[in-house]
Amino acid sequence: MSMAQFHPTDEVDFIVVGIGAAGGVMAKELATAGFRVVALEQGPWRHEKDFKHDEVAVMFRAGLTNDPKKQLNTFRKTPADPAQQQQAVEYGCMVGGGSVHFTTNYWRFHPEDFHERSTLGPVPGADLRDWPITYDDLEPYYTKAEWDLGISGLGGSNPFDGPRSKPYPLPPMPVKSSGVLFERGAKKLGLHPFPAPLAVLSQQYRGRAACVHCGYCEAFGCEVGAKSSTLAALIPAAVKTGRCEVRPNSYVRKIEVGKDGRVSGAIYFDGEGREVFQRAKAVVVCANGAETPRLLLMSKSNAFPEGLGNSNGNVGKYLMFDSGGFAFGLFEHPLNEYKSVVVTRVLHDYYRSDPKRGFYGGGGIDGRFDYYPAGFALAGMPLDGPQWGSEWKREIGQYYTHMSGSLAHASCLAVEQNSISLDDKVKDAWGLPAIRVTFKNHPDDLKAADFLMERQKEILLAAGAKKVWADQTTLGEMTYSRHLMGSCRMGDDPKTSVVNKWNRVHDIPNLFLVDGSSLVTSARQQPTATIQALAYRLADYLRSASL
Amino acid sequence: MKITRREWVLAAACWNEVLRAQNSQSNQFAWFHPADAAEIKAIAAQIIPDDNTPGAGTAGVIWFIDRSLAGYDQDKQQLYKRGLAETQAKRAELFPGSTSIASLSPEQQVALLKAIEKRDFFQQVRLHTILGFFGQPAGLKFVGVEHQMHYSPPFGYYDAEAARGGSK
Repeated sequence: MSMAQFHPTDEVDFIVVGIGAAGGVMAKELATAGFRVVALEQGPWRHEKDFKHDEVAVMFRAGLTNDPKKQLNTFRKTPADPAQQQQAVEYGCMVGGGSVHFTTNYWRFHPEDFHERSTLGPVPGADLRDWPITYDDLEPYYTKAEWDLGISGLGGSNPFDGPRSKPYPLPPMPVKSSGVLFERGAKKLGLHPFPAPLAVLSQQYRGRAACVHCGYCEAFGCEVGAKSSTLAALIPAAVKTGRCEVRPNSYVRKIEVGKDGRVSGAIYFDGEGREVFQRAKAVVVCANGAETPRLLLMSKSNAFPEGLGNSNGNVGKYLMFDSGGFAFGLFEHPLNEYKSVVVTRVLHDYYRSDPKRGFYGGGGIDGRFDYYPAGFALAGMPLDGPQWGSEWKREIGQYYTHMSGSLAHASCLAVEQNSISLDDKVKDAWGLPAIRVTFKNHPDDLKAADFLMERQKEILLAAGAKKVWADQTTLGEMTYSRHLMGSCRMGDDPKTSVVNKWNRVHDIPNLFLVDGSSLVTSARQQPTATIQALAYRLADYLRSASL
Repeated sequence: MKITRREWVLAAACWNEVLRAQNSQSNQFAWFHPADAAEIKAIAAQIIPDDNTPGAGTAGVIWFIDRSLAGYDQDKQQLYKRGLAETQAKRAELFPGSTSIASLSPEQQVALLKAIEKRDFFQQVRLHTILGFFGQPAGLKFVGVEHQMHYSPPFGYYDAEAARGGSK
């Protein structure tokens, strides 16, 4: 069946703004349930044939991500600082969004992540809160996501995980040398490494091909559809219903509100720059933790002069970043980490917050070496050695295949002044206010990352590394993030949150938000599984909700 | 300018462009004045030397930089203009009587670049040189990547060893 085509004056059931990790779930679930859906996507609709192994184009020319030369950002550490023009947020900008280019770590959050405030008490200088839902509320939807998308892993292998109702649908990916060494070092230290749950097919699954181990996973699109993105796993099914129209290159600038205070549709620029108003009975915004608050703030009207969902001034606040440092380890024999998926072993021994450490938070740690050659040459070599010239070049040539390493996925606290707002001077290429990021890590974020860095080095040394060193650019105060969380957070109290426990904007009955912006805490990063579980849960709710 | 893992994306360029530039029969620069290109080429040749293995010169990095500045990195043109002028001033200060960067001895070139290596200009040329070299097939070969679409396990020494039931 060919894709549905709706006229802008057709009042469809739902507009989905942003068809990425969450939007892809919404489009598929809502269309399958019988609703008529228009998905408006800022980026293009790329397919397997459009992806290629080109580090420069993809990593250095925003090949699959928001274009910093058109979609300008500004950044400041605190509201007292002037905002400087620089890229501060990065996200997958295409049909399938971040699920197309992500590294594919697919962890569930732990049960205790949902009620840390009750367990740990308040954290000075932060606004740590319980979620309005529990792990048990989400468990069926984690399972649904894992089976619908195709996740490879070994259920029960992580002793710190919450209970699960079903195993993973696919066995883990073959262990790489980085995983073997990580497991070796971790076990020597009495830790509990486990096979990484990944959104990559270890075997054929529901008509999709298994991974070919080409090695271009992180930041790239999969050329064989083995990465379990919404592009590969869900959006074809949404389109096949004949009730979902995906409109790429559609840059939404405003959600329109009628006289009754209800949302009536969305205004966007199409690929030719023409303004279009698409009518709808309800709108679900899945545009990510930066673009979702920006769109709400841009959607000012007489009824909502401060933007949608912003009656209490919470839209954009409590932004949380992707914290955690990278440790390099040089080994005697070749690992050839440029082959296959990025991560094959993970551990959660340092995940829980431990008051004895003297700071909030912790993290997951994985074994990986995810530097493509130019990225490694740029920032990989130890800073106590040369950074250019013959000796540096020779060492890169010797090191590259012999490298392993480890990335920490560390807690990031919600702080009120860390936010997405509209820049008052800089505009994007569409003439809309640029995203202005205000961000300064809570001191405990940095303590957690530093603590984890020491653990990462211990593991690499225990595994037999000849030399370990940190990528210093991954430590210290952050000015940039790929995980964008918490900026329209979920809660029971409209005074301190933007959406309720069903992802409905508190004061607008037919406007829903689901993406990283909904997250109340960062947990320990790798938020995709949780974002998608929230989307499945919302879709389930919308089947029977009265709007 | 500090290039960080977090900020990879802030930089520039594309394989097709590199290959096109290298295969070009034309020696016409799209943006550089030929005299300036010779100077940048000399700087790039110290960043990634052609020593006992291929370097920036063999890889034709200067063409990559030229096409980048004419295209995606147009916003870096001023940095190149200003930075090269400042580097020439530094050269004249360090080596009175010298006429160009390219005509300095290798030792003098290294000394000059060490004197400016913290500057945005040098960091930008370093970035472009790295992309132009490591972003193309000869760069992959140099670091030991045998670029294929499909690999099978074992991938490296340690997973092969583990599969044999080796060292724990």
